Amino acid sequence: MDVTFKIRRYNPEIPGKDKPYWQEYVLKDVEPTNRVLEMLHRVKWEQDGTLSFRRSCSSGICGSDAMRINGRNRLACKLLIRDVGAKIQVEPILGLPVIKDLIVDMEPFFDHYRSVMPFYVNNDPLPADGRERLQTADDRAIFDDTTNCILCACCTTSCPSFWANGKYVGPAAIIQAHRFIFDTRDQAAKERIDILAEPDGVWRCRTVYNCTPACPRGISVTRAIGEVKLAIMRGSPKGIINPKDIPTHE
Amino acid sequence: MTSLVLTVSETLRYRGAIGQWSWVLHRLSGLGVVLFITLHIIDTSWALLYPELYVEAIATYQTPLFTIGEFLLVGAVVYHALNGFRIILIDFRPKWWKYQERAAWMVLAGAAIILIPVFIGMFGHVLNFYSGDSQVLPLMDVLRAQIPFVVGIVVAIVAGVLFSFLQGLIAGGGEKKSDKAGSAVERFWWSYMRISGLLIIPLVFGHLAMMHVIQGVFDITAANFTVVGTDAVNVSGTAVEFVAARWNMFLGGVAIWRLYDFGLLALVVIHGFNGLRYVLTDYTAKNPTLRRGMVYVSLIGALVLIIVGTLALIGTIDSTAIEMAQRAAESLHQ
Ligand code: HEM
Ligand code: HEM
Ligand code: FES
Repeated sequence: MDVTFKIRRYNPEIPGKDKPYWQEYVLKDVEPTNRVLEMLHRVKWEQDGTLSFRRSCSSGICGSDAMRINGRNRLACKLLIRDVGAKIQVEPILGLPVIKDLIVDMEPFFDHYRSVMPFYVNNDPLPADGRERLQTADDRAIFDDTTNCILCACCTTSCPSFWANGKYVGPAAIIQAHRFIFDTRDQAAKERIDILAEPDGVWRCRTVYNCTPACPRGISVTRAIGEVKLAIMRGSPKGIINPKDIPTHE
Repeated sequence: MTSLVLTVSETLRYRGAIGQWSWVLHRLSGLGVVLFITLHIIDTSWALLYPELYVEAIATYQTPLFTIGEFLLVGAVVYHALNGFRIILIDFRPKWWKYQERAAWMVLAGAAIILIPVFIGMFGHVLNFYSGDSQVLPLMDVLRAQIPFVVGIVVAIVAGVLFSFLQGLIAGGGEKKSDKAGSAVERFWWSYMRISGLLIIPLVFGHLAMMHVIQGVFDITAANFTVVGTDAVNVSGTAVEFVAARWNMFLGGVAIWRLYDFGLLALVVIHGFNGLRYVLTDYTAKNPTLRRGMVYVSLIGALVLIIVGTLALIGTIDSTAIEMAQRAAESLHQ
């Protein structure tokens, strides 16, 4: 089949291309099972070497190639042509400064990520055997979902609150905080709760639900944000998630 | 401004599911009702303070422009109430997120089920009024009557931004890095929006039932008509006597409609203007002075309305006011 790509281009260094504009490319002999990322490669390699985009692993692990494809945030490497059709519109994710074509500056996004202390904190002496700090299967289950985040920014850049207000910490940073706040072995829940309770923390979330379907890892993002809000209201993560409510992960 | 334009245009372009449109409707309906109550509370205080103006205000309500607005208003309140209930439920039970799409559709369906009979009832009142020999103010008069409100809103915005600017000059401006005090405040507002929302539902539905369905906006000025929620008759057929009858209705020694209106006033104004603050601070995040100014604008609006509304509620409407209203009503349509 033939596929038409309409791609949002921008290059601040070249006069005439320093305002965003649309450019079209037609690809022949495309299989429905080809992935969108492969077809972007074909555009770049066969037709226009100036097209710029990020990708690293090409297999849905690194989170480099988040883009808005046919109006929704996706990873180009996880999306098949048959799921988007023969007319494909690609543009950079919104809310972060565009550097060139589909490449955005991720630094503001990572600043929010770093602001929630996304690391494990436990200052107790190690257990007697000097090995792991143990945790029950139930305790592990309550934050299992949010361990899946790959920081691709699909969720944060699908959120109208973030589009309006770049100071909003955003869904991804809240997901990362959730992963530690609800970890019974971690000891910094209080600090993270205080950070997220600030005016541009979780309260900017209006439960729009754009983030949940945008997540390429299937994390129930809005649910996790809701749990963090309740943890903030109660001052503690205890008892908010019932392990029985967690669908068993395959 | 750029942030507002960008968010609006990109919301239209982003292919979000129903949740996104629920948010758009919730925000628009909330803002619409905030605009209405700003006019409405100031209008209502005139029943006491400037009876002639109150007569004119109710006369503007009885014109085609406001009649269209009335249907939009009732639709907005009903949708916002049901959708607010959906938001609150899932806020307290995040594990129900899977049902949110279905719930959002149920909100739309529920709003339609409530609104169809309500609109039919309201339409009956409308038909009655416009097909009779009722006098209707010309559109230009209706628009002219809104000028003071426009001026008032502009003054509030300028004052809020100016105040913020001066505060920045004196205190050195700049934003605090960490905001511990702010976080306690935001926790409070998050709960307040939800608790007040639940309490407003019965109050505002009752108020609208009395003013739109049981009696219509047009019955406020009907002579020799029993005033809704009282056993008094509106002899003069003036809006002022209508309000006087309601506010002088005692049940077991309590002025029940004054109490009711006070509950409505306090809950709705604080809820609505905190919502306004959410919206205005979303779109002014880039400019700290402007953003703080928007907080002041919301605060000024809420304070003015609560003070004016309370003053009206604790006053007494006497017979001279009703006579003034009667004369005003006669001269209005000459
Ligand atoms: C067009 C629709 C409406 C009409 C005709 C109407 C009519 C009235 C009238 C006649 C009063 C005088 C007091 C009384 O009789 O109890 C009043 C007071 C009041 N109404 Fe409405 N109402 C309408 C919609 C609303 C809505 C949607 C709200 C709130 C969301 C609201 C909030 C209030 C409040 C807070 C007061 C007390 C004002 C004060 O303290 O001065 N009204 N309304
Ligand atoms: C009838 C009962 C009502 C309920 C159950 C209700 C519920 C809610 C809830 C839960 C929110 C928070 C939404 C969020 O955080 O995402 C909200 C926001 C808001 N409400 Fe209400 N509300 C009601 C009546 C009103 C009225 C009468 C007004 C106007 C005076 C109003 C104006 C607003 C505004 C402006 C917002 C902010 C919207 C936003 O940030 O997008 N609400 N409401
Ligand atoms: S390229 Fe690594 S996630 Fe797509």
